[in-house]
Order: sequence, then structure tokens, then C-alpha cells
Amino acid sequence: MIELKDVVKVYQRGAEKVYALKNINLRIERGEFIAIVGPSGSGKTTLLHILGCLDKPTSGTVKFNGIEINRMSEADLLKIRRNKIGFVFQHFYLIPNLNVWENVTLPLLFSRKKTEREKIYSLLESVGLKEKIYHPVNKLSGGEMQRVAIARALINEPELVLADEPTGNLDTENSERIFELFKLLNVKGITIVIVTHNNDIARRVDRVITLRDGKIVE
Amino acid sequence: MGFIILALKNLLRHKIRNFLTILGISASIATLFSIISFNKGFEANLQKEINRTGLHFMIVPSGCPHEVASLVLHGTVIPKFLNLDVLQKISQYEEFEITTPILVAQIFNSEKGKLDLVYGLEMDHLDKIKPHWKIDGEIPKSDASILVGYEVAKHYSIKKGDVLSYENVKFKVSGIIQKTSSQDDAFVYMPIKSLQRIINKPDSATGIGVRVKRVDKINSIIEELRQKVPGIQIVTMNEIVNSLSNLAASAKILGLSIVVVAITISALGIMNTVLMSIFERTEEIGVMRAIGASKVDIFQIVFFETVLLSLLGGIKGLLISLVFSNIIEGFLRSYMPYIPYGKIIQFDLFLALKCLIFSVFIGIIAGFLPALRALKINPIEAIRG
Repeated sequence: MIELKDVVKVYQRGAEKVYALKNINLRIERGEFIAIVGPSGSGKTTLLHILGCLDKPTSGTVKFNGIEINRMSEADLLKIRRNKIGFVFQHFYLIPNLNVWENVTLPLLFSRKKTEREKIYSLLESVGLKEKIYHPVNKLSGGEMQRVAIARALINEPELVLADEPTGNLDTENSERIFELFKLLNVKGITIVIVTHNNDIARRVDRVITLRDGKIVE
Repeated sequence: MGFIILALKNLLRHKIRNFLTILGISASIATLFSIISFNKGFEANLQKEINRTGLHFMIVPSGCPHEVASLVLHGTVIPKFLNLDVLQKISQYEEFEITTPILVAQIFNSEKGKLDLVYGLEMDHLDKIKPHWKIDGEIPKSDASILVGYEVAKHYSIKKGDVLSYENVKFKVSGIIQKTSSQDDAFVYMPIKSLQRIINKPDSATGIGVRVKRVDKINSIIEELRQKVPGIQIVTMNEIVNSLSNLAASAKILGLSIVVVAITISALGIMNTVLMSIFERTEEIGVMRAIGASKVDIFQIVFFETVLLSLLGGIKGLLISLVFSNIIEGFLRSYMPYIPYGKIIQFDLFLALKCLIFSVFIGIIAGFLPALRALKINPIEAIRG
């Protein structure tokens, strides 16, 4: 599904050049459940952004479904993000003045898609939010907020869900529920890539990619 | 949910801040609307007042043109008089249909213990000078009869047949003029001879009203009069209109320059408000970009926010000027030397729409910079925090 070859990402921080990723070679197959682990500053989030077509590598090639994305225009990358990829963030990043329903359906506004209400109801039911559809999101608990974010990531029926420390702000019980939700999605065929510090989660996925100083370590 | 609803919900997040911004816009739009509609109403009502007088021009002693305008339209006591020799000279002209002396004076009403503004007129010419008047009663046939304007009659509870005394001379009210909704309602009309006697100015007049037989010859006649009769000033009704319109136009320009300042301030207010909300929402906008919003989508959201702000401001401004139009008009009336009779600030739907469009236009211009700023938000940097 995704293939990275000799991917290098360099940031300019003042006069200094920062190598966030160094020669990354990686293949992710459809239906895999992957955890990216590593210490802070090891390049996990940068890798996730490149996998999610949010960022382009400085050098090397990235193929998404066989198409090289480093040659794609911003508009084409946006199309992939809209239709194929769902994002979940550590800080949920919900829009505070909107309710659950409005937050979840926000991507539909951007992709100009119409989805049947029934489908949205069943999606909200699957993440356990059926009772809170019209609640303002800032009145929800952390676990509920993250479930809203997951529903939002799923609304466009993506092939790939990328989650950046999705349980980083949650207690054990809620972390477990979120992980179970991801596992369920994976069973349904969605490819899942999670950046995590949680060893408990990392232990239970198909494959763990460990990064250190921008390199994959075996 | 569409972009407009999303924009509206964003505005509702900071109710007080946006309310104040809207208030700023509404103040400038209210001022703009009031000034333009006042000016329009001023010119329309002025034309109406001019049309009501059956005269083409006035001959008055040399002096201030505004004073003449007030004399013709409202009646003003000018402490200068024309000698009736002038009347004799000009009555020889065959081109004139009517030449009628007009004397305006303030005299003491002994019954009511007040000073009344009294117009001295040739009663035989009344149907020509004031063709639109309807009188309950009859035009005075003797020097001892008078006509009373509608408001005066109402104020003093005067009825036809009552007797009024001015400087110990008794006058019978031969008729009451029906409501004209002009300044005519506020005067007493007396045969000019009687008024001349009372104020002890025999054979004099404040002005002479002239109606010519052929309107197309007015200019050449006036030219001739100016050369042949010294010490007079001739003011045509057109000149009066122009002089007063210029007065209104200067007031309008002054007013509009205040509006320009007000609008600039409110535009900066919009810019500041929207820019601030974009800075606050950098992360949020970054996330929107990550989950599929294009730059155009972000631009749209910010654009609708500014349009909504300026549209709401415009609507509120129009409402303010509607509610306060009487106060605004009263304020202007107390400061302008001449304002035509009748309600000046009228609600003109077309003008209101133009003001609204202008308000939105200002909003769009003010919102452009913040919208561009929002486009530059890099989703990766925004999410990283």
C-alpha cells in the first residue's frame, strides 16, 4: 500500500540543518496494524506526516498505492488525504464550538460528499457515541473526545488510519477502549499506523517499527 | 452543516468581541445611511416647497441669499425694506403677470399676549401666490380681516369669525387655511396695507414676488431689471434651490468625510477581530487542512465570517438609523440654517440595499488580509504546535 525508499527529511532550524528522517526504507501492506515507537525527537511524527501525505520528503520516493506522491501537486495530495486517509491526534483537535455530529461530519463538508444519516448514526454507534450525538464536544470526557476524533477520521471511509499517540492523553481504561476500537477497524480491513509510547499497545500489534535518531532500528 | 453555518458558529464563539466589532460597523453604516437619505429628502422636500409658491422670482433689498431663501420659504423678519417706488417701477413691465409686495413682521397679539409672525400680502393676488391653499372661509375682502394658518388656529383655538387684536387694531378672522404641512401653517396673513400701518412703514415691503407671463424669458428680464433698478437683489426660485442645495451638499460632504473616518476605523476593527480569531485558531485551521480542507475552503470560512460580520453590522446600522431617524433629524434641524418642512429622513429600500452592499464590500476588503494569513497556515507546523 505504501512504500518508502531512501526517504530523507531535513528541516532548517535557524542556521542548523536537522535530519528528522535518514534513509528510511519501509513497506506497509494493506490491512496491517503497525505501531511506530521510539524516543521523543526520533522522527515518529515526521514519518507519520509523510505516510499521511501531509508532508513531502526532502529526498527519496514515497509511493501510495503505487503512485509516487513526492511528484504530486498539493491538490492531488489533498484528494488522497480526503478520500483515503483518516487522522487521529494526541490532543484530539476537535472544533470546540461544534457538537459531536458537526465535528464528525466536518470532513464531508470539505470533500463535498453527502452521506446518509443512517450511516453516520451507525458510525457514531460503533464508537459508542450514539447517546451524545448533539453534545458540545467540550463537555465530553477525554476518551469520548478521542472517539469523536476517530469517528471523524472514519467518516470518509479511508483505507488508512494514522494516529499520533492517540492514547497519550487518556487513562488506562480509555486507552484500552481506543485500542480495541482500532483493532476492530483493522479487522474490517483498514490499515492502521499508530505512533505510541504505550508498550502495552505496541506489544499487541502486527508489526512494530522502532525509530531512533531518524533511522529505523531492528 | 455548510460553510456559512460553520462561519456563524465561529463568530458565536466570541460573542462580546464580535458584538463590539458589529457595533463599530453599524455606527458607520447608520451615519452613512442617515446622511445620504437626509440629503435626498432635503432636496426632494425643498423642490416641493418651491413648487408650492406660485412665484418665479423675488426682488429683495441687497443682502444674504440664505436670508432671502428663508424669507421666501419660511418667512423671516429682515430688518431691511424695499421702497414701493421699486414696485411702481417694475409694475410697468408688461412681461409680468403678477408683481406682489410681501411684508413680513413680528407683531404683538394683544389677546394671546404673544408675538406673531405676520405676512402682509395683496389679498387679490393670493390665489396666484398660493394656488394650492384651501381656505375654510374666505379671502379677506377688507383691511380689517385676516387669514390664519392651520397651526396658529389650532394652537390658539381660533375659529372663523373670531376677533384678534394686533397693536390695538382689531381684525376679524375671515378664514382658516387648511393644513398645508408646510411653514405656511404657522403664520397669520394680513392685507399688506394694514400691516404697513401697524409697523409704521407705509409703502414698504420686505420683498416683491414676481410671476412672469413667459417662463423662457426670465433670464433676459432679470438681466434688464438688474441694470435698471438699483439697490435690489433678484433671486430666482432656481437660485434659491441651488443656494440651499449647496448648503446641504456642503453639510453632506462634511458628514461623508466623518463617515470615511468611521468606516476606516470599523474596517480596521473587522480586520483586527478576524485576524485575532485566526491566530487563536491556527491549530484548528491546521487540523482542518489535515483532514481535507483545501486552501479555498479555509479562505471561504474566513470570507464568510467577515461577510457575516459586516452584513450584520450593516443591518444593525440601518435599524439604528430607522429607530433614531427622528432624533438625528431633530439634531440636524437645530444646526442647519434652513431645512425644508416635512419629514426629511425617509426609509428608502434601494438606498438601504446599497448601504448593505457597501458594508459587505468593506467587510470583504477588510477580511482579505486575514484570509490570506489563514491560507499561509502550514498544517504540519500548526499541529506540531
